Amino acid sequence: MPMKRVISQCLKELMQFQRDRITVALALVLPLAVMLIYGYAIRLESKNIPISIQDFDNSFLSRTYVERIVATNQFVPTPLLRGDPTLSIDWGRAKATLVIPPNFSQSILTQTPVTVQVLVDGTDVNNARVIQNGIRAATQFFLSSSHLLPDRPQIQIVADVRLWFNPGRDEALYIVPGIFGVILWVFPSMLAAIAMVREKEEGTIVQIYASDLSATEWLLGKELAYFMVGVGEAILAFSVAAVLFGIRVRGDPTTLLVGTGIFLAAAVAFGLLVGARAGNQTGAVQGTAIAGFLTALLLSGFIYRIENIPMPLSLLSNVIPARYFILITRDAFVRGTGWSGIGVAPGAIALMGGLFFFGAIRTLRRMQFSD
Amino acid sequence: MPAPLSPTPPAALEARSAIAVQGLHKSYGSVEALRGIDFTVQPGEIFGFIGPDGAGKTTTFQILAGVMEATAGQVSLLGKPPGQAQLNIGYVTQKFSLYPDLTVLENLRYSAGLRRVPAARWRERAPHLLGQVGLDAFGDRLARNLSGGMKQKLALCCALVANPAVLLLDEPTTGVDPVSRREFWDLLAAVASTGVTVVVATPYLDEAERCHRIALIYGGELQQMGTLASLRQGLGLQRLEVWAADIAQAETVLQGATVSGLVDIQTFGDRLDVLVTDPGVADQQVRQHLAQQQIHVDRVQHTTPTLENVFVNHLRQQGLDPPYLSFPTAQTGQTLGKVAIAARSLQKTFGSFCAVDHVDITVRHGEIYGLLGANGAGKTTTIKMLCGLLPASGGEIELAGQTANLSRPEVRSRIGYMSQKFTLYDDLTILQNLTFYCGVYGVPKRLQRQKINWVLETCGLQGQEQTVTAKLPGGWKQRVAFGASVMHEPDILFLDEPTSGVDPLARRQFWRQIRDFARRGTAILVTTHYLEEAENCHSMGFMVAGRVVAQGSPSQIKAEQPGQLVEVVTDRTQAAADCLKHHLETWRVAIFGDRLHLVLDDLDGDLPRVRQWLRESEIPIQAANPIPFSLEDAFIGIVQRAHASPS
Repeated sequence: MPMKRVISQCLKELMQFQRDRITVALALVLPLAVMLIYGYAIRLESKNIPISIQDFDNSFLSRTYVERIVATNQFVPTPLLRGDPTLSIDWGRAKATLVIPPNFSQSILTQTPVTVQVLVDGTDVNNARVIQNGIRAATQFFLSSSHLLPDRPQIQIVADVRLWFNPGRDEALYIVPGIFGVILWVFPSMLAAIAMVREKEEGTIVQIYASDLSATEWLLGKELAYFMVGVGEAILAFSVAAVLFGIRVRGDPTTLLVGTGIFLAAAVAFGLLVGARAGNQTGAVQGTAIAGFLTALLLSGFIYRIENIPMPLSLLSNVIPARYFILITRDAFVRGTGWSGIGVAPGAIALMGGLFFFGAIRTLRRMQFSD
Repeated sequence: MPAPLSPTPPAALEARSAIAVQGLHKSYGSVEALRGIDFTVQPGEIFGFIGPDGAGKTTTFQILAGVMEATAGQVSLLGKPPGQAQLNIGYVTQKFSLYPDLTVLENLRYSAGLRRVPAARWRERAPHLLGQVGLDAFGDRLARNLSGGMKQKLALCCALVANPAVLLLDEPTTGVDPVSRREFWDLLAAVASTGVTVVVATPYLDEAERCHRIALIYGGELQQMGTLASLRQGLGLQRLEVWAADIAQAETVLQGATVSGLVDIQTFGDRLDVLVTDPGVADQQVRQHLAQQQIHVDRVQHTTPTLENVFVNHLRQQGLDPPYLSFPTAQTGQTLGKVAIAARSLQKTFGSFCAVDHVDITVRHGEIYGLLGANGAGKTTTIKMLCGLLPASGGEIELAGQTANLSRPEVRSRIGYMSQKFTLYDDLTILQNLTFYCGVYGVPKRLQRQKINWVLETCGLQGQEQTVTAKLPGGWKQRVAFGASVMHEPDILFLDEPTSGVDPLARRQFWRQIRDFARRGTAILVTTHYLEEAENCHSMGFMVAGRVVAQGSPSQIKAEQPGQLVEVVTDRTQAAADCLKHHLETWRVAIFGDRLHLVLDDLDGDLPRVRQWLRESEIPIQAANPIPFSLEDAFIGIVQRAHASPS
């Protein structure tokens, strides 16, 4: 009998859900939009950095050097402005300027060391470091390819690097599994929270309170309904990602299936908790969206390494379910190591989901208006 | 500390009564909403709650329904504490608690599931219930697309689907038109006759007269309780119904005069109710005094007081009559008689549905125009188009002399608009709300304080201006909202059900203010479901299904009614109504309080037949007198005839 009431609760919820076009759109279109935006917009790799070059030497050697730098595709040349090496950076046309002194080729030929000047826009610290390394590497390559290095004893250690899991360094493989952690958390929880507060706003909660339905039955019905909506969203997200970004499950799919199930259930439980506490839709949407987006984006290891987060904040990341889910998705879509690669992640998500659900039940346990 | 609600009610209370309440207290923080309430309700009884806004009615219902904890006291329903009797209780709230995205049938099925009605029982019961309230043809319609009256009936069905032993109805008829209200009460009477106990609160006192017993609640305490007859007896007065040419003036004259045994004078619609100890003596004196002032008296009838008389008198004795203060104005006003609002052949279609169909309305400065009609007749849509909130699909509108670009700021600033929905910002304090609207409407800074004080004083809210608006009871919010909509002294005022859910004393004060604004030259267009209030209008239009089917002054409209109205007094009003509806067309029979109104074409021929029918059903008639039509009689006739013969 209790199960029957939970199911009828769930059916009513799904019926309401499919009647409201805006909610359906929110559930299906928004997650895809978020995935496209993040999937195409976030690129950690730097390419086509504009660089202006002031070549006072203008010799065969200096031109070869410049060619070498541009040939990496990392840099594109952009004109120098009014012969001023800093102006193009000031105006934002270039991110760096390379100044080659007049004695460049002469010094090389006479085997005396020569200094080239590289001015780098340091506004974006990360990018500046990439430029610095890029110029160094290109210079090194120029030196060795032009046989300009002094004769030295044979190098003893050669590091032969091979990229595991993602040999092509395909960035989508890194970003998209992380996006799953964001959208499959934020949207199911938001829908569940809205469904909760709508009952308060429409006054229909009075009918529930006035019946003998228990908080557990009521919440389980909603949990089940929005879990199913979440499963739909997950299938859609995984399929679209497969088509657009060519992301496929590797190895054992059971980790992904189980992990996604637990994660969706936890997300809905979080939404129910927010909805049980919030008084109106604004509160519910903000509570789930802000809390969800911020934590799932910044504290989950989606983009920024968790190990880089400083001490008290890094503790917080331990209670972000998305962090564990991203571990699971990255393993399923990139690493393919299966259950041995994800450790306690499913258990951690389940624990937190259970706490959220229990919190929601506690909030509503009396099934009455509070004073 | 008061003792918490005991889980087992005392045996003495539960004995026979369906509901027993003893020493019920409820406080919200430092505010005491209920201060010790005792009452019992017998099985099959219809028990009514009346009282001013914020009296504690809703709190009582919430505790009875088990959706709120009492602070102290004992409550037992069917011998159990409220939390355990829930499956045997049906509860209808003012907001109806329906899921707008679900259909009529889905709402009903969901309610059935909540109350553990087996699927088989539900399938058998649903068509029967919907048929009973006339919703059987609308099973697949979404609840959001139902009119107010239909929502109310569906909410009743949802409450009845589990065959409850107790039905709790918290102002279910607020904002519902007179025809739908009567249908609702006929249903209630039928439900109660099957043994269901009904507890109902209503702001309509004529409805409350249909209860077996009535409790007047005020300030969290039961002030009076008893049958209608005992409440009347408690008042110890007789009533003179005085129909005079100018009742506002007549009231002033009588208030200044000395009439022996005169206790109270109350305006009700187009007549004065004069409460006196000795009707014979007072009748003569009243006629004399009015004759001295050259006020023509049409007729004076001696009768018993109504529940409204009892209620108003009681509240006045408590000093609850809200103060009347005239509006502080600098303006001399508009030229009276100039056209302020005009609509010619106004139309509005939503898809294939014609909400407003060729409506012609003219309102002049200094005139109060009442737009009346059943729920969903198109009144609100018409008002929205007239004040430029909604584009018209066809026709012409003239507003404040302008025919185009009605949403320009210059036009807008001359308009005041108040609707049921135009509420204040719930999370701001009353003062912040009023200051905000002063700013929005561009009230000059130096006048703001004065206007805000006027609103606070007329609403009786001085000293409470820092209260958060959400904490005000509905009726009080309406009063503040009205104040907020007139602070900028608009030339044209649109009022969409301004008095819905407001208690009788405050409604009278409202209308005095509205009349004052009209006298100063404001053109006012108003809708209301209180037809006795509509007597204040200078002219009016009755809308049915998007069309204006009758238009004119109140006296014109009443004069145009076919037939003769007969008031029948009997002990068994409900039974008499049910019986006569078998023999006569439905629009000819209507219950007014504890009386029955019949519209007969031929008095001498029809009345004996009516007596005959009632005699056959063994219903004794105490009196049957021809009386003049009231607007409410006219409304019921016009609306029901229009529905019966859609042309």
